[in-house]
Amino acid sequence: MSADSAPGQSLYRKEPKIYPRQVNGRFARLRDLAMYVLLGLFYVMPWLTINGHQAVLFDLPGRRFYILGLTFWPQDFIYLALLLVAAGLSLFFFTALAGRLWCGYACPQTVWTEAFLMMERWTEGNRQKRIKLDAAPWSANKLLRKSAKQFLWVTFAVWTGFTFVGFFTPIRELAQNVLSFSLGPWETFWTLFYGGATYANAGYLRAQVCKYMCPYARFQGAMFDPDTLIISYDESRGEPRGSRRKGIKPEEVGLGDCINCTLCVQVCPTGIDIREGLQYECIACAACIDVCDQVMDKMEYPRGLIRYTTENALKNNTTHVIRPRLLVYGTILLLLICGTLWSMTTRTPLRADLIRDRNALYRELPGDMIENVYNLKITNMDDVAHTYSLLPEIPGVAEVESSRPLRLEASSVAGFSVRIRMPRDAGSGVQSLTLELSSEDNPDIRKKIDAKVLLPVSSGANR
Amino acid sequence: MASGQDTVSLRWNERRRDIGIIIWISFLSACAGTFVIFALLDPDALNQAWVLPWEMGRKLAYSLGFLFLFCVAAIASSLTTFMIRTGPRRGHHTGKGRKPAPQIKPDAAEDPEFGIDPGEWR
Repeated sequence: MSADSAPGQSLYRKEPKIYPRQVNGRFARLRDLAMYVLLGLFYVMPWLTINGHQAVLFDLPGRRFYILGLTFWPQDFIYLALLLVAAGLSLFFFTALAGRLWCGYACPQTVWTEAFLMMERWTEGNRQKRIKLDAAPWSANKLLRKSAKQFLWVTFAVWTGFTFVGFFTPIRELAQNVLSFSLGPWETFWTLFYGGATYANAGYLRAQVCKYMCPYARFQGAMFDPDTLIISYDESRGEPRGSRRKGIKPEEVGLGDCINCTLCVQVCPTGIDIREGLQYECIACAACIDVCDQVMDKMEYPRGLIRYTTENALKNNTTHVIRPRLLVYGTILLLLICGTLWSMTTRTPLRADLIRDRNALYRELPGDMIENVYNLKITNMDDVAHTYSLLPEIPGVAEVESSRPLRLEASSVAGFSVRIRMPRDAGSGVQSLTLELSSEDNPDIRKKIDAKVLLPVSSGANR
Repeated sequence: MASGQDTVSLRWNERRRDIGIIIWISFLSACAGTFVIFALLDPDALNQAWVLPWEMGRKLAYSLGFLFLFCVAAIASSLTTFMIRTGPRRGHHTGKGRKPAPQIKPDAAEDPEFGIDPGEWR
């Protein structure tokens, strides 16, 4: 919209492209550390092997998830639900405690944007160089730098897409398929899809996603209270702002500590001015803190003109770290995590379903015995093979016979045909029978199964 | 029909309109989704693959499927409404109702008044 000369519009200028300036300092190091750890986990995890399985593998066709040596079955989906609840609660907890920590340090949007910015710096140089390069006419140098950046971005994005698919398909097989150009159509699609999304989000959309698209950014304010840690400019100390030469004390010129160098604006990935107060665009990356501290050091003023603080502290009230809201979030979170861990460590790695064969009612055998036929589906969720025995809970009530030994390899499912025989005079009509399936080598692994046994309705009469 | 002085009876306020639209559109989407899913999929077949320990009849599967789709559509619609209602207003991209972008000082080399060279902290 360069022809923005319509009346009433001339007051507004086009939103400038944001060229975040690189910043060094405590929080920048923390952010870099978070980036290396999180991206490192993402790219390395699928290549590790634990207990003979890929460290993290969501095997969708096989309907099981391998996560750090644990195997999760569809029946364990309750843990996934609990995990999501715990993740949501910890977001509440940390937001109430320290504001948008998630946004600034851990959100994939931030982390991948950092990585893409890093590649941009390698190829196109620092902030001023990037601005100049974009403004300059096309030249061999510009073409070279731009294509080098695109090459890095695209390569990294495709590798990201490949790694993503590697969480769902064994990554070593996937790599072999890539090398032999025999990647399946869906694997190709998802690699390009996720790679393309990474490229667009981290290369171009960047903090616009946070400003316009992220729901968390919209409602996180509801979790704030006056004791929440926020990044804030100390207005009472900084104002009136104004430039001055180095070494001049603020009071000599009747100014506050802010030298109005606008570096806090230049480092901001969302392009806001933190000095205008807390804004919903702020993703709390703390870049402005680092850069302002450096300026304060240069000027030989105390650090912390922009700092992590709380609304209460800025108003000279006492800040309460421990407060009811945090205690409630924290307690629920702790209970949830402990409960989940306890339940996960004590779960029985066995599941069984007994389904009556629908094609037959029952069979009468010599000796006044009635036989019912069932399909027994056993899932051995353990890491070792087991042989099971199926017996009535009350010994002698019924005879149970399976077509073949109930032996299952580690992490496998198998179906067996099972016959249950009961004497004709054990009852009339549908009878409930409790069976127990137990591992022969580990008595702790046992499961009760309820069976419905059909017997002739009135004893003596034939059906 | 409680109406204050400033409200016209039978005219809905914004919140009511939003909720009405969310529910109605989610319902229509869920209907369409249920048709398509269960035209292609016999819920009885689900019983073999079903992970929960009780048998699910056809009627229950149809109802649960519909309610599930209704919920998902309603969540999506509600969040969308929330994002649009709390987001920037119409004309935001042309600068309407938006504060101008913060001013940035030129580099020290171009501004001798400014005491320190920001290039030092690249």
